[in-house]
Amino acid sequence: MPKCTIDGKEIEVAPGTTVIQAALQMGKEVPHFCWHPDLPVDGNCRMCLVEVEKAPKLQIACNTVITDGMVVHTESEKAKQAHRTTLEFLLVNHPIDCPVCDQAGECYLQDQYMEHGLHDGKTVPEQKVKKRKVVDLGPIMLDAERCVLCSRCLRFEANVTGTNSFEFVNRGDHTQISTYEGRPIAHNYAGNLADVCPVGALLSHDFRFKMRVWFLEATESVCSGCSTGCNIFIDHRDGEVQRLRPRRNVEVNKSWMCDIGRLEYKEIALESRLDAARGRAGGDWQPLALDAALDLLAERLREAGAASAFLATPQATNEDLFAFRALAAQLGGKLDFRVGNPQDKVQVRVDDVLLRADRNPNTQGCIDLGLGQAGVDRILADCASGAVKALLLQGPELLLEPGAAEALARVPFVAVMATHERPELALAHLVLPATVWAEGDGTFTNYQRRVQRIRRAVPAPGAAAPRWEMAARVLRRLGGSFEATSTREAFALLTRAVADYAGLDYRVLAAGGRVLAPGQAGATQEARA
Amino acid sequence: MAARVVPVDRNTRPSAMPILVGMGITLKNLVVTVLGQIGLGKKAAATVSFPEEKRATSRRYRGVHILTQREDGSPKCVACYMCATVCPAECIFIEAGERPEKDIEKYPTRFEIDLLRCVYCGFCVDACPEEAIIMSRENDLVGTTRAELIIDRDRLMDRAKVGEYGDGYRPIDHDARRPVRIAALERLRTEHGIVPGMPKRD
Repeated sequence: MPKCTIDGKEIEVAPGTTVIQAALQMGKEVPHFCWHPDLPVDGNCRMCLVEVEKAPKLQIACNTVITDGMVVHTESEKAKQAHRTTLEFLLVNHPIDCPVCDQAGECYLQDQYMEHGLHDGKTVPEQKVKKRKVVDLGPIMLDAERCVLCSRCLRFEANVTGTNSFEFVNRGDHTQISTYEGRPIAHNYAGNLADVCPVGALLSHDFRFKMRVWFLEATESVCSGCSTGCNIFIDHRDGEVQRLRPRRNVEVNKSWMCDIGRLEYKEIALESRLDAARGRAGGDWQPLALDAALDLLAERLREAGAASAFLATPQATNEDLFAFRALAAQLGGKLDFRVGNPQDKVQVRVDDVLLRADRNPNTQGCIDLGLGQAGVDRILADCASGAVKALLLQGPELLLEPGAAEALARVPFVAVMATHERPELALAHLVLPATVWAEGDGTFTNYQRRVQRIRRAVPAPGAAAPRWEMAARVLRRLGGSFEATSTREAFALLTRAVADYAGLDYRVLAAGGRVLAPGQAGATQEARA
Repeated sequence: MAARVVPVDRNTRPSAMPILVGMGITLKNLVVTVLGQIGLGKKAAATVSFPEEKRATSRRYRGVHILTQREDGSPKCVACYMCATVCPAECIFIEAGERPEKDIEKYPTRFEIDLLRCVYCGFCVDACPEEAIIMSRENDLVGTTRAELIIDRDRLMDRAKVGEYGDGYRPIDHDARRPVRIAALERLRTEHGIVPGMPKRD
């Protein structure tokens, strides 16, 4: 293990570590533009020049591998002078249109000018090289004048998606990035281009002019778009989600996420969100207080007893599922979750980057908790034969299944926990408003069996409540016990009941989640007793 | 060190003297003011007959805001949100939209100031990079409802009434102050280790 000294501090690093990585391990950021932890090193921006003792010239920190006994100065007068000079060159043709640029506030040029530059410009705006501005590339807006030619986008396209949409055109200070014939970006990972761009050259079309980033508050969470479980930040302000952006987790999504996941937030604040419970009174809907609705549900379930059936949803968190399972076990009703067989798609990739065929965030959690018991077909058959007296759906999936309507029509009482208004809810007799993933805490288990936390970012509309809470309240009305007042406690109950999850708690899961030891789904079945 | 104690005698005997002194001052002021009002003395009354008369205000008076315009009558504002960011009363609401001109790009489709929340500090004027928001000397705004005093973009740009009061606070000396601002930033960094900006990304 080579040892080196960076700014007077000694550090031992793994062989092959570069100076910029070693400095980061010490918590020191060497200024840079083109270096990105998840892209190959290019070394073109020259911003990360540092002084290495016994080397004749300054070296770039991103491509200088640490050798034993190396002494590096990142803040010596020579290095600082180099940072200032490089920055001045980069800013010569920069339009400095920060007031209208969405990158302002998270821009490497801005931050580094404040930290290393603070020089007066020597050019006047009229002398600057004019390039293409406001070029609409579909999900991305290109402004070639703001570009610092770091080639991060080129390397992203070459190494992550393999689509090679961008190329440098022209030469000298007329160099600019462009797509071939100005064609739009067509792949599902375009949003990452705006993230990797250190300046405002590539910006998200969806986020354009929506909000200045310094107003946003970031909450760590996990994407609910598919079974990959990309780590994300939910950026929100005043209880409204403004955008989602990837949070680095090398073992799950590196620094990326797909555009489908990125637009998941749009469902949160839709007009069609359910904010109150309602029940059928002689064919017509009547609004109900949530407590009254839960009373009604508990009464109907008690009447039905073992002739009840429960369908969980892989959209729910592990805590939701666990409370739901406890409710089903209390009555001895039939239980399953496999509407549309998501369990077969958990591992199936849609492309070579991130997206998976199972568009549920927590199918693996359903499998781990042993919710696949009775079989959906069996439950539907029982519904059709009239053997099911009360059916509780944790999500609306079954209502959307073609052919389910006929069977459901024969069930005297169908209750559904739903997040959004949809016509199929007409098949139910009781509708309970549920929160969506960004409105509650909990855990998802992804395709790797990695248990990851999601956190509440925005408040739920109206009376909408988390599914675990509604299940627990019904359970208590039925004389069962569910000793949890928070998701943290609900998860603690879960870890005691499900063998694979033993020993986990929210603190352990905080950074990047935890992969479960390889077990078999059968093992959890035994623990269920 | 022992504290110094000053004894104060609060049990003075009542006397007519202070009352007479006070009434003397009132009488003197009455004579001086009346003589001034009818043109026989130098000193005039401190009160003015508002609203027929208005008190003179300084050139840098901070009254109701004005949104300045380009030559074509469109707002000079580019919706950068600097004013909304710096506003201590959080009374500025902006919604940005797209402008067809590629070198301007952005402008406010909505720009509202809640004048009931505004503390007239003038920070918005200082923060504006375009001299798009300045202040007038208008200080006698009245309304019968709260909603009336949340004024929108068009009213902020309507300058008809401004002539009556005159322009107030505006950043004529921004460039002159730049070295001062840079020196302040430098001091923040060297003496306190603070670099203004966003927290570090990963």
